[in-house]
Amino acid sequence: MPGKAILSGVHFMNGDEAIAEGAIAAGCRFFAAYPITPQSEIAERLAWRLPRVGGMFIQMEDELGAMAAVVGAAWGGAKAMTATSGPGFSLMMENIGLAVMTETPCVVVDVQRGAPSTGLPTAVGQGDMMQARWGSHGHYEIIALCPASPQEAFDLTVRAFALSERFRVPVLIMTDEVVGHMYERVEIPAEVPEAPRRRPQVPPDRFLPFEPDPDLVPPMACAGEGYRIHVTGLTHDERGYPDMSAEAHDRLVRRLCDKILRFRDEFTVYEAVDLDDAEIAVVSYGISARVAHGALALAREQGIKAGMLRLITAWPFPDPVVRSLADRVRGVVVVELNLGQMSREVERVVRGKVPVIGVYHAGGRIHTPEEVLSGIEEVQRCR
Amino acid sequence: METGVIFAGFGGQGILLAGKVLARAGMDQGLEVTWLPSYGPEMRGGTANCTVILADEPVGSPIVDAPRALVALNGPSLDRFEPKVAPGGAVVVNSSLVPRPVRRKDVREIPVPVNDIARELGEPRTINMVALGAAVRALGILPLQAVIQAMVEELGERGRKRLVEVNREALARGYAEAGRFLA
Repeated sequence: MPGKAILSGVHFMNGDEAIAEGAIAAGCRFFAAYPITPQSEIAERLAWRLPRVGGMFIQMEDELGAMAAVVGAAWGGAKAMTATSGPGFSLMMENIGLAVMTETPCVVVDVQRGAPSTGLPTAVGQGDMMQARWGSHGHYEIIALCPASPQEAFDLTVRAFALSERFRVPVLIMTDEVVGHMYERVEIPAEVPEAPRRRPQVPPDRFLPFEPDPDLVPPMACAGEGYRIHVTGLTHDERGYPDMSAEAHDRLVRRLCDKILRFRDEFTVYEAVDLDDAEIAVVSYGISARVAHGALALAREQGIKAGMLRLITAWPFPDPVVRSLADRVRGVVVVELNLGQMSREVERVVRGKVPVIGVYHAGGRIHTPEEVLSGIEEVQRCR
Repeated sequence: METGVIFAGFGGQGILLAGKVLARAGMDQGLEVTWLPSYGPEMRGGTANCTVILADEPVGSPIVDAPRALVALNGPSLDRFEPKVAPGGAVVVNSSLVPRPVRRKDVREIPVPVNDIARELGEPRTINMVALGAAVRALGILPLQAVIQAMVEELGERGRKRLVEVNREALARGYAEAGRFLA
């Protein structure tokens, strides 16, 4: 029995289910994964839903295989996704790099839990943020988005597919156990536009599979469409053939980075909360930002003008946004469920201009507003 | 106005579902709601709890310091969460399993023998709905009918007629039972 692809209407849904529905609404028809808490609800939902909308769900032997299958499915023409948590995210790193190098559009979800290693399987963490940025080998750029609610998990999953097609890059959804497991009201719109794949504009005999358009992104032909393609993780030229020269390597790696960095305004999304008159700025993301929100009111009750920059696009790090913030406030408080990862980026961009204080917690529970408030008070006391 | 409710018990007692039904009922009634589970890595057994927030404005943190109501289906849950309950709040205690009374004097104790009632109903798995019915009465912010409707939605396709009927009875029994302890 064919099902509806877009479940328009109001639902009582958790973040994991919202990600699954966002993927289907965006046109995802291939999902390969290995189950892991707290991601399992994504896999469970897609195992049920995808076959009913003409898609395919495969439970792979492990996360290496899952990521490899996603790369293959994308080259077969599908919009493809995988999802995991920290331990599986580590296993996916090699093939995420392959997707970067082969410019494969796909979406990877990491529902972060307490880590390292098996850590806290059923409890929250945000310790994979740097791994999202640098976990695969080599120098590269990747896009990562951080939802703070089930609704945003749906919306950002749709957006992730659009960005992955636009830039031909893996897009990461860096969510966490609380957003994943928390049920809330989720409204699915009547229509969700499906992001087109950038198709070749020349006949097959003139097509070079890695010849970029002026915006540095090459059109993509998929296997079996009559275009000659050669896909390799080796450094390659515009034909896709291996080229082992330092010049070709530098040219390729720079293009893979520049195609994203030059257009960062297209995908840099953030929420500014009470920043207009703020003297102290909280910088946070995901579930931590949601908790920090409650601390702003507490601070203002004490006469501290606090606001918040909620990062929605975590990678590439929004340097210009944070830099201009540092020009306007007296101090910055970074709130995250690790012992200081994104705060390194904040410090790098702020360059000592104003004090930066971290409100850190290794995970297992979310912050209390009072903990965030004490960080705001601490930075207020700095001169 | 934000109302937090904690449901806690052994894994398998159905406390996560009880909380979900309450949250869904709140959403159906136009409230802002969150439901957040907390459980360990065990496949079965262990302890589990969930936090429901019902509010008239968007909910920030999905955890609560001082719940307006606690549903404790076993002793360890009462020990752990009793101190957190807001003064004047309600504590629904499963008196079938919990051997001690509530120690605090500034909360409303509602002892309900949920295991015994569920057994009388012929379906021991309905202990969670008996307890939820009592909590709904104690909270007094959602009509029982809305909670029954949410239960039917939550059971979904699994909710065969007999199951829906016995769960409806369980909710009603818990609701009535709590009335004996509330003015």
